[in-house]
Amino acid sequence: MEIRLIERFTTLKGRRILEVGCGDGRLTMQYAPTARQVLAIDPDRLSIEDALDEQAALRIPNVTFRVGSIERLPARGAPFDVALFSWSL
Amino acid sequence: MVHALQRAGQRLRSGGSLISIRPHETQLPLVSIITPSRRIPVARLPTPGFDDRQSAADAALERVVAEGRFALAGIRNGRYRSLLDNPTQLRIYLELINPPRPRFPPGRRAHLLDLWRARPRGSRIEIAEWIVMTALRRL
Repeated sequence: MEIRLIERFTTLKGRRILEVGCGDGRLTMQYAPTARQVLAIDPDRLSIEDALDEQAALRIPNVTFRVGSIERLPARGAPFDVALFSWSL
Repeated sequence: MVHALQRAGQRLRSGGSLISIRPHETQLPLVSIITPSRRIPVARLPTPGFDDRQSAADAALERVVAEGRFALAGIRNGRYRSLLDNPTQLRIYLELINPPRPRFPPGRRAHLLDLWRARPRGSRIEIAEWIVMTALRRL
C-alpha cells in the first residue's frame, strides 16, 4: 500500500534510496528487490538486528542496514535518488 | 527535524525526491473485529503528543521549502488495512510502530478482549490506518 502511494510520486525501481527510520525493515523489504541500492538507518539497535535477520532470510543483498540517525550521516557521499522518511518526522 | 531534512537534502541528487510518510492528522487508527458477517468497530487509537509532533513536522517541511532547498511535489492521503489473527498479534503490531505509538483509550482494550472472547468462528482483528504522504523535489 505505501509503495503504491510512493510510486505515484516517483519510481523506486533501479534507484539509490536512503530510508530514514526503517525500523525492522518492513517497508524496506517491499521495495528493495527492485531498487538498485538501499541505505536504511534507524537509531534502534534491536530493530536493525531484526531487519538484518529478515534480510538474511529473504536473501536481499542490496540493502545496508545501519544503526544511527540521519543527522550523523556524512554530508558527502554518493548521492541518492530518493529519501524516504517513514514515520520518522 | 529541520536538520534531518537538510542533511537528507545534502545527500539527494538535484531533482531527487524526498518523501515523508506520516500518520493522518485527524483520522486515528481504527481497530475493529471482523466477523464472517459484520464489522464491529472497537476503538480509535490516539497517539500521545501527536499534535505537537505533527506541527513540528509540518513546520520543518515548510521551512526547507521556504529556504529554497526543495519544492513541494505533492501531498496524498491513503488508507491501508492489516488483518491480524488475535490480540497478541495486535499488541506486537502496535509495538513495531515508531514511537510515539498509538494507544487504546482507557477501557477499550478490555472491551476488545471481551468482544474477542465472544467472537464467532472465523473472526479476525483489523487495524485500519490513514497516512499522509508529502513529496518534495530537491532543487
